[in-house]
Amino acid sequence: MNQLKYVTAIKNGDFTGLPISSTSTAVNLTGSWKFFRPRLAAKESPCRLACPLNIPIAAWLDDLQKNRPDLALRRLRDYNPLPAVTGRVCPHFCREACNRGDFDEAVRIGDLERYLGDLGLEHDYAPAPSPGKERVAVVGCGPAGLGAAVFLARRGIKVTIFEKGPAPGGLLRSAIPAYRLPREILERELAVLLRDLPLEIICNREIRATDRERLEREYDQVIWAPGLQVSRKDEAWPDDPRLTGALEMLAAINAGAAIGGDDFIIIGGGNAALDTARCLLRLGKKAEIIYRRKLAEMPAYAEEQRQAKEEGVVIHDETLVGKIDPTATKLRLSLHQARPDKNRINCGPWLRDIEVDGLIAAIGQGSDLEISGTHPVISAGDFAHGAASVAKALASGRRAAETVLRRLGRSFDDENQPGETAVVTSREQLHLDYFSHAPAISPQELAPRRRLDNFCEISQTLTAEQAAAENRRCFHCGICTACGICWFFCPDVAIAFDREAPDPNLRVLFDEDHCKGCGQCATVCPRGVIEMEEDH
Amino acid sequence: MQQEAILLGSDAVAHGVRLCRPEVISAYPITPQTHIIETLSEMVDRGDLHSEFIKVESEMSAIAAVLGSVSAGSRSFTASSSQGLAMMHEILHWYAGARLPLVLVNANRALGAPWNIWSDQSDSFSQRDTGWLQIYCETSQEALDSIVIAYKAGEQLMLPVMVMIDGFILSHTMERLRLPEEEEVDRYLPAYQPPYRLDWEKPLTFGAAAHPDLFYELKQTQAATMQEAFAVLRQCETDFARQFGRLYTPVMGCPEGDDASDCVIICCGAMTGTARVAVARLKENGEAAALYKIRLVRPFPQAELKLKLAGKKEIIVLNRACSYGVGGTLSQEIRAALYDLEKRPLIKDVMISLGGKEVFPETIMNIVRNRAQLSSSECNWLA
Repeated sequence: MNQLKYVTAIKNGDFTGLPISSTSTAVNLTGSWKFFRPRLAAKESPCRLACPLNIPIAAWLDDLQKNRPDLALRRLRDYNPLPAVTGRVCPHFCREACNRGDFDEAVRIGDLERYLGDLGLEHDYAPAPSPGKERVAVVGCGPAGLGAAVFLARRGIKVTIFEKGPAPGGLLRSAIPAYRLPREILERELAVLLRDLPLEIICNREIRATDRERLEREYDQVIWAPGLQVSRKDEAWPDDPRLTGALEMLAAINAGAAIGGDDFIIIGGGNAALDTARCLLRLGKKAEIIYRRKLAEMPAYAEEQRQAKEEGVVIHDETLVGKIDPTATKLRLSLHQARPDKNRINCGPWLRDIEVDGLIAAIGQGSDLEISGTHPVISAGDFAHGAASVAKALASGRRAAETVLRRLGRSFDDENQPGETAVVTSREQLHLDYFSHAPAISPQELAPRRRLDNFCEISQTLTAEQAAAENRRCFHCGICTACGICWFFCPDVAIAFDREAPDPNLRVLFDEDHCKGCGQCATVCPRGVIEMEEDH
Repeated sequence: MQQEAILLGSDAVAHGVRLCRPEVISAYPITPQTHIIETLSEMVDRGDLHSEFIKVESEMSAIAAVLGSVSAGSRSFTASSSQGLAMMHEILHWYAGARLPLVLVNANRALGAPWNIWSDQSDSFSQRDTGWLQIYCETSQEALDSIVIAYKAGEQLMLPVMVMIDGFILSHTMERLRLPEEEEVDRYLPAYQPPYRLDWEKPLTFGAAAHPDLFYELKQTQAATMQEAFAVLRQCETDFARQFGRLYTPVMGCPEGDDASDCVIICCGAMTGTARVAVARLKENGEAAALYKIRLVRPFPQAELKLKLAGKKEIIVLNRACSYGVGGTLSQEIRAALYDLEKRPLIKDVMISLGGKEVFPETIMNIVRNRAQLSSSECNWLA
């Protein structure tokens, strides 16, 4: 052990020595006494694992709270190319897993994502690297195809997307109503996303199964993400133009086409059924929903159900359409009580007959594309896994891109992805005493009576103050936020922390030479990030 | 010209502190000390005293707060009593070891259990080994003067000084006092200028870990400085007497007694006043006894006592603190001091009062008259 250099005080010439040293106590290497050492053991937040895209939510929320939107945006965009879109349309699986849910109310992560996504509409991406010689084709420019293409283009791959429709976006453009996703937001987000990327989008080009051989010859890799763009219909339905599918009806409405007829019945209980009904109501039509199961079993997102109810959408649950009788002027439908029988739901007793101008099936989606060949293709999105959320489509696009990169012999930066062994921060690992109760901050919504004559967006983006307040509610589970509690409590001044370090794992630095391993830091950490391990 | 005033003992202490112009005061109230800090806080509030008064939640915090201010080179003050002083115990050691010259006034009071707020000296006697100088006062005037002397001596020695007044007996009674003039005290007591202080510009480490050899060496220095304290204190007391006309010494004889008598009464603190009356009455009756008051308990004036007590037959020590299992604490100090004498006097160890038990002149007179019955091997408790 080094020794302190003590000063010598001479007073009255005859006594010396005060216990005062001209050196710092740092010469005492008290770290040699320890049996345990602290380490930063970052964990995953439950919201991240619940997110199909595995967005490191706690990390970018922390960046945002530290007033570093650029860093937050970079972290978010690494995982999600369309945050302004998903901030609006994603049901936010993350919220359901939020540790704050039991404390008072889950953090409104979606509204915060939307807030940051909207900030991003003004922020360009860093320039992508110049493309190499590899060329990849992507079929379909919906969320999955776009997600895959952008992921590749940002890693120096030249990508060509073939889109059947007139513009990129897929279902974002054709199916999702503007009151949920204003087209201006979609356009602006696509513009900022695609700016200066080595990526070509060829619209109005439908790719058929027969094109496979040619594509695979011309491109190094092909990703198939054509989506499920065709509504499923009951095969027993008569062939009549007044019997349509929800996707087709939504596409027509979203394209601004004139819709004939005044009175509609929609069959189904998912988002497509509600979207169609709500769009038709906005066009001044009458539209009611027939759903064969109980209301509580509807698969549509809860928020959509709430808003539809506010707007007066009528839903007849436990009801089936029996006979369809197309007359010259109307469709005559017989409505029946649903009668569940094993796995099927059959028509029960007759209820009444009604006459409508159109019947719309919102009972599922399909594809008319069937790829055949000797080896499997790389596919993504609804085409690969069936109809799902935008976030799931983006995630599957990313996975497809990773497969492509692997096949091209290229590595990809996957280090930050939570692995199979990811440790999730449990509520027990959090010190809730550090947090105070506060209700969630909900965005302002257009009053229901002011929604029905327009397609204006219903909910507003949080203001900066609201976003900051809502962000303060986040526990930031499992990541070091450099809150400084450990620094404050460390009795040996053996902790330094760096609020500015972008990597949460580098925010707290333990002074191994002086840490005695007392473990106070691990005990007081609000987020359960510090753990003690044996020191050998 | 010193102004005369009739003041409470607590106020006398407060005026003594005011005259020394401490820059920082921190204290926590406890009976019977409360009036001292109440008066000081009023002085600060009125602007009569330009001090930072730090309010705290315990005696531990009070003594710790001024640890910082003294380290930073500010003259500081605190006061306590009984349980409060006991609570300060570990930091008391630190002051002496770190060589920080604080002045603390303790209003002597019993320690529980059982609960008792009245006076005895067990609280401060149980802090004898903390390395502080200890001065016990007989009168409020002596307390006021001792505070001024304590700052001067302590700051020269770089050691803390504890000044004792008996709770209630001094703190809550009024006395005619002479208040030194501020300018005179300023002349007597220079500003506190420690050789080292906490300073951002010149960083130093205070009280850091010392390895065994260095620790031993520093403690040896501390012990040597305590021996040095006799001379430094004598000089300070002499200077004070020259300037203010009142002389104090570590062991003070009392003219009321008969110095030629071979029976000596020894006590310390305010009880000396009662003992003066007792020996005066005895003298009137032709029953002679000498009376000495011990003013300085740390460092203990062994050499001076040896000179004064050599040749005496009997010494009656009147104790107000007990070291359980041995006897009166003061008696043990006297015994140890006189051990080297060729002809050792008999020592009668008397536990005269604890927890405010009243002591009248008759109590002392009876002890002296019946001293033949007193044991000289065991502590004598009153019937």
